[in-house]
Amino acid sequence: MSRAKLSFPSVEWFNAVRKEFNTDEEFHRRGAGHCNCVAGVKVGDDVFVLTFEGQECTSVEQSGELALADADFYMSMDAVDWQEMLANISKHGHAVGDYTLNTLDLNRFDGLATSVHGDQFREDMFFRFNQTLQFFFDASSRIDTRFG
Amino acid sequence: MVVLDSPRLWNRLQRKLAKKVKKKTEESTSTHVKQLKNFEAKKEEIEIPEPRLNWMGITREWGVKVLPGEKGLTLGSLNVGVYGEIPTTWSDRGRNPRGAIASGARLPLAISVQDKADLWANSAATLYEEAIQRRWIPATDIPWDQLAPLPDDIEHAICQVCTELMQYANTDIEVITNWQHKMAYGYHEVKQYLATASFDGARRYEAFRKRALSNGGGLGLESTCQVNRVLLESTGGWTETVATWVFNRLLFALTICRYLERFAYNEAEIKLYQYVGQDLARILSYGIDHLHYAMNADPEKRASVGISITIGDAFLVRDLRDPVLKEALSIIFGAGINGVNKDGLDTFYEMLDTYVKEYLELCAWLKLDRKLEQMPTIFQADKRKR
Repeated sequence: MSRAKLSFPSVEWFNAVRKEFNTDEEFHRRGAGHCNCVAGVKVGDDVFVLTFEGQECTSVEQSGELALADADFYMSMDAVDWQEMLANISKHGHAVGDYTLNTLDLNRFDGLATSVHGDQFREDMFFRFNQTLQFFFDASSRIDTRFG
Repeated sequence: MVVLDSPRLWNRLQRKLAKKVKKKTEESTSTHVKQLKNFEAKKEEIEIPEPRLNWMGITREWGVKVLPGEKGLTLGSLNVGVYGEIPTTWSDRGRNPRGAIASGARLPLAISVQDKADLWANSAATLYEEAIQRRWIPATDIPWDQLAPLPDDIEHAICQVCTELMQYANTDIEVITNWQHKMAYGYHEVKQYLATASFDGARRYEAFRKRALSNGGGLGLESTCQVNRVLLESTGGWTETVATWVFNRLLFALTICRYLERFAYNEAEIKLYQYVGQDLARILSYGIDHLHYAMNADPEKRASVGISITIGDAFLVRDLRDPVLKEALSIIFGAGINGVNKDGLDTFYEMLDTYVKEYLELCAWLKLDRKLEQMPTIFQADKRKR
């Protein structure tokens, strides 16, 4: 686990998760090999764009709302809901129960994943790459996270 | 019959046999030696033709050297020069790989899907690579040791749903294989992707069978599933088959798996439904991409696609009238028979609403004129009879 507490959401936090995710072979096996997509993460009003290429998450950028138009899909929740999800992951080492990405998407009235463009082929990537995305957030269990 | 009970007689026979063998060997060797000597003597007179190798120069494009990119040497990256020319019609009814030179003398194959608009999806090569690279192994990638005994009603319900999903998987395999040999070889990206999709179907069948037979239960009732029949008997066109497959099977099956993951009873089931969900989403992607391509290339297809979905809807409604799947899923969602009327049935209908929402979003994006009020009443929350 990283020693310094990293604040969520921040580029530093995502980069720390990215490092854990990219370097652990366990996250790239079992139905989670190559993944090529651009995924947005919206935490309240904060927007981050994650690029996945091959076996890695190659970049994380903090952007404005407009950047979401270029993402294949984006995952959006209030900060407190992200916090609950990450707390669950931190407690169990991976998401369980109501906190898997799929269940969050089903349980929320507006869903978790959506897109600006409505392109159903690109939105489907949320389901096609679900394991990779889940493993990415599961990797956050190794980060000492500070909220707010 | 001679009874060999005397050692002397036995030895005599053995010696006789050995002599015979020796004589035959000497005769044979001598014949071979003679033939060899004859050949050596006449060698100068025999004319051995030089190999012509005239096939070597016949190519449409030589000197091609595709290099691996960041994602490796992918199927799509090989589409360079003449090898990347994908015609709108592939009239060759042989096994001629795209870019090779067709042989003149051969019988035509039973290829009937020869227009690009009838099968193409721009993502096919990418989906093929994805299927290869994101594979999983039911035997070892699912933590089967996490299964634990469940109440009898829940185990029965899960096994029944697995029985049904196995039939879905088997149908997926046969839908593809029914058409695979009819598709022109010029569109190999699609044929290769669909080959992986049929393998994915086999893996789904395996995985659900393993779940049903590994926790004290067993298989349940065979489904009368009408959608299976429609899919397998759909012979008019691949695009129309894909339309029913996407809207009335794949989207529905994916929604079931998503809800099963949400209400999974252990880590093994969570993983099972997550992996299967990804595989279903990949076929769905091919289907969406193909329908999008087909209807843009040939706008008249919009009508036949619409009709195929309407027919599929009618048969899905018949399937939903059969109480088995509904009851089994409601038991799983309601944590037992006692929870069916409390939460189980509500969740089942919520699942249907989720399916319908995704269905209508897909229709809107594909510019298919379809509204909720045009759909059978079971899909309309405010009109359905429970």
